Amino acid sequence: MRYVGKSYPIHDACQKASGRAVYAGDMELKGMLHAAVLFSSIPHGFVKKLDCSRALEYPGVVDVVHCFNTTEREYNRYQSQFNQALIYTERVFNSHVRFVGDRIGAVIAETEEAAREAVRLIQVEYEELPYSLDVFETLKGTIDNVHPSGAVFECTDMVTGTMPEEEDLVTVDTVTDLSRINHICMETHVCVADYDQYSGELTIYSPNQTVYGIRTLIGDIFQMDYSKVRVIKTTMGGSFGGKQEWVLEPVAAAAAIRVKRPVKLVYNRSESMISTYGRSPMHFQSSFTFGRDGSLKGVDCDLLLDAGAYLGNSINYARTVGHKLFRGYKYPYCHFHSRAVITNTIVSGAFRGWTSPEATIMFEHNMNMGARALNMDPVDIRLKNVMHPGDADPLGNIPIGNFRADEALRQGREHFFWDRRKEEIREFNKKNRRYKRGLGVALGAHVNGFYPSKTDYARVDMRLTETGSVQMNITLHDHGCGTVTAMQMIAAEALGIPMEQVSLGEGDTKYTPLDVGCFSSRTTYVQGQTVCLCAEKFKDRLKEDVSALSGLPVSELVVENNLVYGKYHPEVCYTWSRIADECQQKLKHEVFVSYEYVPDTNPGVAGAHFAMVEVDTFTGMTKILDYLAVHDIGQAINREMCVAQTQGAVIMGAGAALLEHVVTKVSGRPMGSLKDYHLINCFEAQDVRVELIEDGGTEGPYGAKSIGEVCHTPVTAAVVGAVNDALKSDMNQIPLTPDVICAYLDEQEKKEREKEA
Amino acid sequence: MRLSFILNGKRKVMETEPDRRLLDLLRKDLHMTGTKEGCAEGECGACTVIINGEAVHSCLVLACQLEGKEVLTIEGLEENGELSAIQRIFVEETAIQCGYCTTGMIMSAKALLMHNPNPTEKEIRNALSGNICRCSGYTQIIRAVKRTAAEGGC
Repeated sequence: MRYVGKSYPIHDACQKASGRAVYAGDMELKGMLHAAVLFSSIPHGFVKKLDCSRALEYPGVVDVVHCFNTTEREYNRYQSQFNQALIYTERVFNSHVRFVGDRIGAVIAETEEAAREAVRLIQVEYEELPYSLDVFETLKGTIDNVHPSGAVFECTDMVTGTMPEEEDLVTVDTVTDLSRINHICMETHVCVADYDQYSGELTIYSPNQTVYGIRTLIGDIFQMDYSKVRVIKTTMGGSFGGKQEWVLEPVAAAAAIRVKRPVKLVYNRSESMISTYGRSPMHFQSSFTFGRDGSLKGVDCDLLLDAGAYLGNSINYARTVGHKLFRGYKYPYCHFHSRAVITNTIVSGAFRGWTSPEATIMFEHNMNMGARALNMDPVDIRLKNVMHPGDADPLGNIPIGNFRADEALRQGREHFFWDRRKEEIREFNKKNRRYKRGLGVALGAHVNGFYPSKTDYARVDMRLTETGSVQMNITLHDHGCGTVTAMQMIAAEALGIPMEQVSLGEGDTKYTPLDVGCFSSRTTYVQGQTVCLCAEKFKDRLKEDVSALSGLPVSELVVENNLVYGKYHPEVCYTWSRIADECQQKLKHEVFVSYEYVPDTNPGVAGAHFAMVEVDTFTGMTKILDYLAVHDIGQAINREMCVAQTQGAVIMGAGAALLEHVVTKVSGRPMGSLKDYHLINCFEAQDVRVELIEDGGTEGPYGAKSIGEVCHTPVTAAVVGAVNDALKSDMNQIPLTPDVICAYLDEQEKKEREKEA
Repeated sequence: MRLSFILNGKRKVMETEPDRRLLDLLRKDLHMTGTKEGCAEGECGACTVIINGEAVHSCLVLACQLEGKEVLTIEGLEENGELSAIQRIFVEETAIQCGYCTTGMIMSAKALLMHNPNPTEKEIRNALSGNICRCSGYTQIIRAVKRTAAEGGC
């Protein structure tokens, strides 16, 4: 292939390297004002009174929007489709405040500095209410009145298959606790909104994963006709799930509508960490039953998900954890029960992998504990239970397709020198008292699109210019991982023209086609395939037009190298430029194709990850010594970008395993600072080896499958598994910070002393 | 206060407040938005610029500290209207994804190479340890810095 499988920079790499790329925070519109939000300083209560007089007098202040002068219509920030069945709990500004960081109002001023200064001058009188900072406190009934719909929501109680009635089974019972983590996109959250009172059109500029989703929610909140809401996707400085629920957009829209001028709202790091959303804390109690040969017989799992203060996606998220239990392994019985529980803390929401990593952290820990109980090798117990091509996801009986988990595990075992290292580590640990080494393996699996659980379709338009290039129209949302380039590569490959002759942009509800958004790892698999199929239709169209112009039958025409020529009459040869010209002048139409594709497959995609760690038992510090990620990607489109994304996911997931954690103080005040929230930096990052299994066999473009989420799925589980191997421990309380590890080791030492005594 | 300093090779004289952050001076007063704000507390490196040859966080530098200093920002790197070597190599090595850390990362790398034209990998990692990239595992970034050094600097 000419382009697919090679490596190209992201489409706007030069603009980014030169500092010329424009992110929403860099935008300046004529007459633009700036907004700053007033946040609740208490975890739960009512705003009794707001005195904005001093703020309004502050130089440069134009207006204040707040809970008593703005629409009280309730909404759900997760909404992205018309008539989506969701529970509404949130307002643009809330007088019943439910966490430290809840929005009460916003000052609109000539400068950001003036807006922020004036926010400090607003006097808020609260009536405080009892609050709960964790799910167990809420279950006691402390905040039953937090929402009219209650504080505890049953999500799913699902039984799949039947438990085999066998004897001599081994059961492991475990507890998994995941802390709240944040996406830490380097670009903090930003939105610019502009309202034209004469046309009644509201324009929203935001880095986001679905322009149509925002259009829908904003239209509903402000009771506007959808055709009057235009949403434009801006250059996105990372999402990782953090920019797919609508937090700033309603606020900026409310401000712009009120002052009838453009308003920019920029959240700083602290506001982005506290007042947007993070990955939910989860508490799993699970019980896995194995046969003596390591075959998994049954899974029983109960999940309590901390939704934070408002119901965004939490009910759906807690349900989806259950769906992710069937993407990697085949076993006869599963009982999954989940509840989403409101607390007076940061709102929970989507995170890269949309529950696949969370489910995997729980699942893989049980596999490790099962292997330990059965004295089996952790790779062997996985090989015993993985799904193979021909198997189906039992929920909906969806074929798993060309799923290469088995091969990824075997290849990884060999290339990671698993068996040899096991022996070496045994020797190392015997000789060392302070440092202990361990190996971890985890299998992560994920999806390729929404099919069949939610609607999924995609449209691509292609039009020919008079200079022979192709303009493509597609609703893309590049998160910064190169989807625009990937689509350009696929189009150039399929059309047989140079990449620079294909142009395309990103989502804009005024011009680009209706679309369900760039999530659920659907972009390459679904939209990429739509590009491929549209290109085929486009080439057919070129032949039809040349046939009409030349009189040769379509069946005798060949499309190749920017030319259309007669198979038996090579002297009849049209450049694409000539076709565009003659179509306009003689046939009186544009060379244009619009194609819609509806996917009817959703194969499994697997990553087998291998980690070797060294734990310093004196300090509790963990160092990753080596890491290998093997993925059954089908076909890499932009190779180095797939590798770079996977390496980034490993650093992110390893951070979640060892460091990352948003701490909330007992007062309910969260810590919103990178001084308290540690990330693995360049000095500590281990070079990550990435191997791709590419044997195609999918309905994706050129046999491709997804990578951006599945590469994050097994990471935390692999690192945690390696730490537990090093210490012979059974911790699954994430993150395993030095404090957690030291506390565990102290506890063990105490137990041993007691035993000796 | 009246501030006089050198910005990307040209003398700049302006009226400002002594406690104005260099980051705001660049982004808001001079409309030079290549320098990004990521944390405003010196933890992420997105706002890195070079002052008198040293990489610094522009969110932690105030106008009153700038008198007579030489400030180099990402906007000052292009040569004859083209990307400079280090910028071009970042592009070619796939060292750019979302791009929000890129300008700060390039400025930190440039400051390193100005002092140390042949750094070891450890020295590169150390020099970039104050710049967070959330997209990559730093592999392509380090490769780009190594290649820039090998090809004669930035």
